[in-house]
Amino acid sequence: MFTRWLRRYGTLVAAALIIAGFSALSPTAFFSVENALNISRQIAFLVIVATAATVVMAAGEFDLSVGALASLGGVVAAQLAVRGVPVALCFALAGLAGLGTGLVSGLLITSFRLLSFITTLAVGTVLGGLTFWLTGGSTVFENIPPAFPALGRATLLGIPALSLVTLAVIVAVWFLLTHTPPGRRIYAVGGNESAARIAGINTGRSKTLAFALSGLLAAFTGALLASRLGSAQPTGGNGLFLPAYAAAFLGMTAFKDGIPNVFGTLVGAVIIGVLANGLTILQVPTYLQDVITGLIVILAVTVQRLGTGARQ
Amino acid sequence: MPNRRARHLTAALTLSLLLPSALAADPKTVAILTPFQQSVTTNAMIASLQDQAKQRGWKTNVVDTKGDMGQLASRMEDVISSKVSAIVIVSTDPNPLKTQIQSANAAKIPVFGLDSGYIPGMAMNATSDNAAMGKSITNLLFKAMNGKGNLVVLTYRPHPGVLKRTQALDAALKNYPGIHVVTEQQVQVPGPIENSRQQMENILLANPGKGAITAVWTGWDEPAIGAAQAIQAAGRTGIKVTGIDGTSQATDMIQKGSPIIATLKQNFPQMAVLVAQQIDRVFKGQPVIATELYAPASLVTRKP
Repeated sequence: MFTRWLRRYGTLVAAALIIAGFSALSPTAFFSVENALNISRQIAFLVIVATAATVVMAAGEFDLSVGALASLGGVVAAQLAVRGVPVALCFALAGLAGLGTGLVSGLLITSFRLLSFITTLAVGTVLGGLTFWLTGGSTVFENIPPAFPALGRATLLGIPALSLVTLAVIVAVWFLLTHTPPGRRIYAVGGNESAARIAGINTGRSKTLAFALSGLLAAFTGALLASRLGSAQPTGGNGLFLPAYAAAFLGMTAFKDGIPNVFGTLVGAVIIGVLANGLTILQVPTYLQDVITGLIVILAVTVQRLGTGARQ
Repeated sequence: MPNRRARHLTAALTLSLLLPSALAADPKTVAILTPFQQSVTTNAMIASLQDQAKQRGWKTNVVDTKGDMGQLASRMEDVISSKVSAIVIVSTDPNPLKTQIQSANAAKIPVFGLDSGYIPGMAMNATSDNAAMGKSITNLLFKAMNGKGNLVVLTYRPHPGVLKRTQALDAALKNYPGIHVVTEQQVQVPGPIENSRQQMENILLANPGKGAITAVWTGWDEPAIGAAQAIQAAGRTGIKVTGIDGTSQATDMIQKGSPIIATLKQNFPQMAVLVAQQIDRVFKGQPVIATELYAPASLVTRKP
């Protein structure tokens, strides 16, 4: 009974405990509305990239190019902005570039039955090279029009626009995955590919859709990151890759039994974001932050595993 | 009775712990943020700054984001929330941090740059004159090449300081039509020595003939070290390498007759001293001396 409860809500309880702990240790700086909004803006990129990873994981595959896609998206959006393209179009085209790349990855993997691990790793490497070629290795920041960073820095009724965009993305992806036939097919393929195929699902198409969606989200995140920084670094999104999978794996331990799910991923990203924010506020050295974050991920996955063992 | 004694003892202990901190003035806290703490030079600057802070009784808090600019912006917001007394950004372009610098200004927290570049909103930045260093090491190398030959460039343009040096090379190349750039490679950071060594091994394999490569220009010392190691391992002679930074490893290799012929010794500890002096002034309510302060660099070549 307790183990089942722990398995289902353990990660959520851990998140609450972490937040409560930081609030007790830093009642003024950490436990404030301002800081909560701060965290919501800081984790925006992680949440969307982790959501991208979750979609592909739901189809039973991995997309290791999400970090490189984010870097490319940022550079594409910033360079278009410099060339005077309307800002909304910059974001849309960056997203489209990601969608196209995801589509190519998906088609390669499903048509030639390639391993997604290797294929997306290679695609990521290609993208890294392309991004360097596009920028000559330099940060894109000169002549960026003031409208470009506006979204990344805007607030609506005191809430960062980035946080609202992230929320909209999560709800949209959650709805797509759980309430529409294409989304349910993605889960079916991820759950049992053979059974899905026998049931008449075009598994290749569902997987390709997942990769395309992942590409779109990752590249769009890069554009948002560039908007927030008012500049695009050729490796700007690369750092999101590992935390995104950490968030997605943490998310699998929340709500649903070992199944990638969007709201679980959100909880995972919140844990990672709150740890980084709280430990910085408490002036914990960076190396210790890494140790603590890694240990918490291991702990969460172990608790979930223990629960599963008890059930078996 | 033992209970009361224990209570007294606890009270005395608590008081003795609390009293000194209650009597001492609230120490100033300086947050030091960088995406490149792994770099030897960045590390040296941070160590020097921490030393300066210690001498003045300030607390320091070092945050490293391993090359991630988005994280750097987030962590800067966190230290602003924790109401530190001053922020120092080390070895990073301040442009992506514009919003955070504005937030720091709003919170009345001064932002200093250590080898970072200066933008409005910051108190000041201390660095070496990267353009001047790029120019002087390039001139030295081009003279050593007698104004002609095949040049390999190992650099990292995303770093603002290295970019300025590389731009000085770009400018000098226009005046030397006899010097042909075989290839320019961006060195991976972190891990620049190993990466530049591998890159140089491949470049040497691709250009096997004698004189196919005359010299290697590198943006800082770590790629120079990697390139020199590759050249020595391949048994190639006559290829000249230059670095910039004057790290102890590169200086040692110059003296031992490795392919590295020269480096410029940046005075990193002095940069941190300059920043600490300006932080001190700001803490005392005085204005900074200047928004850009330069620590002079000195040339290191093989001693006869």
